[in-house]
Amino acid sequence: MRRSICLLLPSLLLACGGGGDNPHRRTLVDSRDNYDPRSLDPALSTDVPTGRVVGYLFDGLTRFTPDAKVIPALATSWSVSPDGTIYTFHLRRGVTFTDGTPFVARQVAASWRRVLDPKVRGGRGWPLYPILGAKEFADGKGTAIPGIATPNDSTVVVTLKEPFAIFPKLLAMPVAAIAPDNIPASFGEHPVGTGPWKLVEWKHDDYLLFAPNRDYWGGAPKADSLKARIIAEPSTAVAEFQSGNVDVLQVPQGEIRDWEEDAERKKLLASTPSLELVYVAINTTRGPLADVRVRQAINYSIDRPTIVRNLIAGRGELASGVIPSSLPGSDKTRVGYQFDTLRARQLLREAGYPNGIDVELWTSTTPIYVRIAETLQGYLALSGIRAKIVQRESAAAREAARKGQTDLFVKDWYADYPDAENFLFPLLHSANKGVGGNVSFYANPQFDSLVTLARREQDETRRVAMYKQADEIALRDAPMIYLWFYSELTAIQPWIHGFVPPVIFNGQPWTDVTVSTGALTKVAP
Amino acid sequence: MTGFIIRRLLLAIPTLFGVLIVAFLLLYVAPGDPVMAMVGERADEQTIARLRAELRLDDPLPVQFAHYVIGIAKGDLGRSYITNRPIRNDILERFPKTLQLAGAAMLLATVCGVTLGIFSAKNPGGLIDRIGLGVAYLGISFPVYWVGLLLILLFAVTLHWLPPSGFGGLRYLALPALALGMRSIAFLARMTRSSMLDALGADYVRTARAKGLSERLVVGRHALRNALIPIITVLGLDFGAYLTGSILTETVFSWPGLGRYVVNAIARRDLPAIQGSVLFLSVVFVLVNLITDLAYAKADPRVTYA
Repeated sequence: MRRSICLLLPSLLLACGGGGDNPHRRTLVDSRDNYDPRSLDPALSTDVPTGRVVGYLFDGLTRFTPDAKVIPALATSWSVSPDGTIYTFHLRRGVTFTDGTPFVARQVAASWRRVLDPKVRGGRGWPLYPILGAKEFADGKGTAIPGIATPNDSTVVVTLKEPFAIFPKLLAMPVAAIAPDNIPASFGEHPVGTGPWKLVEWKHDDYLLFAPNRDYWGGAPKADSLKARIIAEPSTAVAEFQSGNVDVLQVPQGEIRDWEEDAERKKLLASTPSLELVYVAINTTRGPLADVRVRQAINYSIDRPTIVRNLIAGRGELASGVIPSSLPGSDKTRVGYQFDTLRARQLLREAGYPNGIDVELWTSTTPIYVRIAETLQGYLALSGIRAKIVQRESAAAREAARKGQTDLFVKDWYADYPDAENFLFPLLHSANKGVGGNVSFYANPQFDSLVTLARREQDETRRVAMYKQADEIALRDAPMIYLWFYSELTAIQPWIHGFVPPVIFNGQPWTDVTVSTGALTKVAP
Repeated sequence: MTGFIIRRLLLAIPTLFGVLIVAFLLLYVAPGDPVMAMVGERADEQTIARLRAELRLDDPLPVQFAHYVIGIAKGDLGRSYITNRPIRNDILERFPKTLQLAGAAMLLATVCGVTLGIFSAKNPGGLIDRIGLGVAYLGISFPVYWVGLLLILLFAVTLHWLPPSGFGGLRYLALPALALGMRSIAFLARMTRSSMLDALGADYVRTARAKGLSERLVVGRHALRNALIPIITVLGLDFGAYLTGSILTETVFSWPGLGRYVVNAIARRDLPAIQGSVLFLSVVFVLVNLITDLAYAKADPRVTYA
């Protein structure tokens, strides 16, 4: 069924030319979210649609630029104590919430406290855990958070448990955004923030409409309004884009080739550096997989360049570590595992499995992952690794992996903030086994201590060197099949100006984006 | 009649209680933990334990069930684990949209299907009959998902007549209603045709014709009326099915109805949302069945409900 649609789409779409008509509207329309935000309360921001909207309505002390730099937002500057544990944030003055309340330091403390409060049921306090006493408070073991102090209205002093040089980056995450004093029960539906946009209405599963915050400290958005449509089916989003009803589209993986090979549509495409790692977690504690030679054999079994070319139209950069090439710490000269079936068989023999091994290869039912799993199964068979594919609905598959019940698990990881630590620590540090994100259950003391030291290291050069070394160690231990970094493809209508697809999902506030109207009514031929 | 309705409604209570138990138990047997879905990709054991405690997920099953049933008895479906919104509001916001879509699809199906069926039956083997057969084959064998996408490509992307997706006025309703109603059109056309063929061959139709009634009256009043029972059955069943979840249609056309709500709730293991929706939809189904039964009596005076 899917295939026939794919065959039909290009021919029918070609029949209607480039990008449809410009609808003479001044509303910016986004189509990138395919499910409704969980809530508009920053404290409940655990998913992408929620985080994106929180970024429109609220500000954190810092924020991401579209190209993933961290810049001051509600904090104008900050200083760090020599030992790296005390951060003093100087707050922006004269900022008001959209209900008129002035923004002061007290609200920073209250907002973070809410995020950590178990009663709020957010479930995502970890970005604030580096703060002294935060974890204890979240676990219900304390009534106050000693690490947050507000000596006056425009200063917040944060004491960390231990030095953590990249802490300001975590404060740009949606969950650390600042809410006003009184939070009513309906806050998730009727949010009030200091952000560039105000919520006009939220039609669940349909759209969210925003109006510019005319008093925004960073300058009001240039467009009249912004609409975030929730379109569940990617093919439908494509149709809406082709009809000119939406301005920005995330091109579905299965259609990349059609877009890139079409001269007209190709002009509308923009690519973002990839912070999404696609990999297969190898549970390093299960049976033969505990042997590093077996894990290496698995890696040598896979012909990644061919898979990238055929499955995702070449839009994957081969991974030779978990750090994407756009982040400091990645080693561009490092060569990962090359396709070598003989080598794989030899390693298996050395490990004592001359007749190969049997493993379960788990995947969610997401079509692209099923296809990846089926392809991997074929390659693994060449080296004598008999992989049985186990398909589960994504929540169930993830839970099984967290409980250590999967041998191999096809998955991905999106960065929350642009730093190598966001890959090395959650995915491979032994402190994060299971629910923390390390579903390889990888534990290497040398790796652990390097990453722990890097987290504390104040000197950027030394920190990056440690990242690089830790990445190298893990690569040799092969706790995963290193597949690729997927780089997303975004289509932008020709009448939209100033939209840069963000590297981190909440890095584009649409403030400088405009719609040209009038003259341009039809895209070139 | 009133007695019958009251009896049927009373009978519905044990049915719904059964639904409640099954829905409750199935969700606890099925893999997938709501807290795991809440915390996202990265979490820690303590947070998960605290959330489980907050949501009372560690209480013994019978206690949880009792808690839930007491809430329902008070008319409270609870709050979503994920969004923290009252389930009742969520359902009330979406159900009218599902109802609108289902109603439009049924209207389309009744008008097109029954008409096609009548004309097919009047001249079996004729041109209209053969067209009707073709439509029926297509309607039954084409998956709704695929039909939906084709409709979007043709009427929205290529011809620009209608919007591809979304919720709004009639313009937005046309394509999803057609996609959803397609199968019913097909079924009804076939059902009406065979039922009408039987009726048209019956003695009373010959009598009606013999007494000089116009063909219109013969077909419309005498034959059709008697052919209605199986048609009502199909209508009732399909309407019930559409009301309880036109998930694929809602997904393809971004229709913000109950079907998508339930699917999202299941994907996120939002237990109160799933249970509340299942209960609500069961009530709807019971009511639709009741109305169908009452319609039998209206169509055929021989059917009585003492």
